[in-house]
Amino acid sequence: MAHKPKVYALTTCPYCKRTRRFLDEHKVAYDCIEVDQLDDAKQDEVLEEIEKMTGRRSFPVVIIGSEIIVGHDEDKLRKALKL
Amino acid sequence: MTIHGEARVYCPVCQARFKFAPGWKEGDEVICPICGQKLTLRLTGSEWIGERPEKGAETEIRERVDEYARLKGYVFNDMKEELLEGLIAKNRRFGDFYCPCRMEHVPEFMCPCKPTRGGDVERSGKCYCGLFWKGR
Repeated sequence: MAHKPKVYALTTCPYCKRTRRFLDEHKVAYDCIEVDQLDDAKQDEVLEEIEKMTGRRSFPVVIIGSEIIVGHDEDKLRKALKL
Repeated sequence: MTIHGEARVYCPVCQARFKFAPGWKEGDEVICPICGQKLTLRLTGSEWIGERPEKGAETEIRERVDEYARLKGYVFNDMKEELLEGLIAKNRRFGDFYCPCRMEHVPEFMCPCKPTRGGDVERSGKCYCGLFWKGR
């Protein structure tokens, strides 16, 4: 894979945890940004980025190549990762 | 406080005022009919205020979501425990039981959040984070 998948998550969100667990279980290396742990300025910047990409502020957001998956969706993850 | 001559009780969770029922007195424990929070009645000046008896405790949020579901006829699914863990983590990190799936830590997103109290479950079948589901 050209770029590592990127996950935007909230530490309190159980769907984000499920997505991360799914990637871990399938031994997929990914970068994770825990948005609620960022300082205010960085958080605003990342939230704007997410809104621009997805049109909303829902979590988790997973970026795999050109694919953007919003919410925990194992079928979409499998398809995008060719698992 | 009275609205059109009717005594009301202020709920600090949903920030609304509900009707004071006949027979209630200072120190009574009541359930807010709007959000399900357990409150102890206190008379402050001329205003009735509901005090959160176990503010921030795990039992507080567990009782609140159970009471709210009972009041509205909503049900839970297998995500309930994980979502409660998220609510408890929000309280630990951000000072109250805000929706675990939102970034905003403002009173309107304290569980049950304002959109939920405004009928989101009736319209969409579930609340934003999927804690409350419309029963059959």
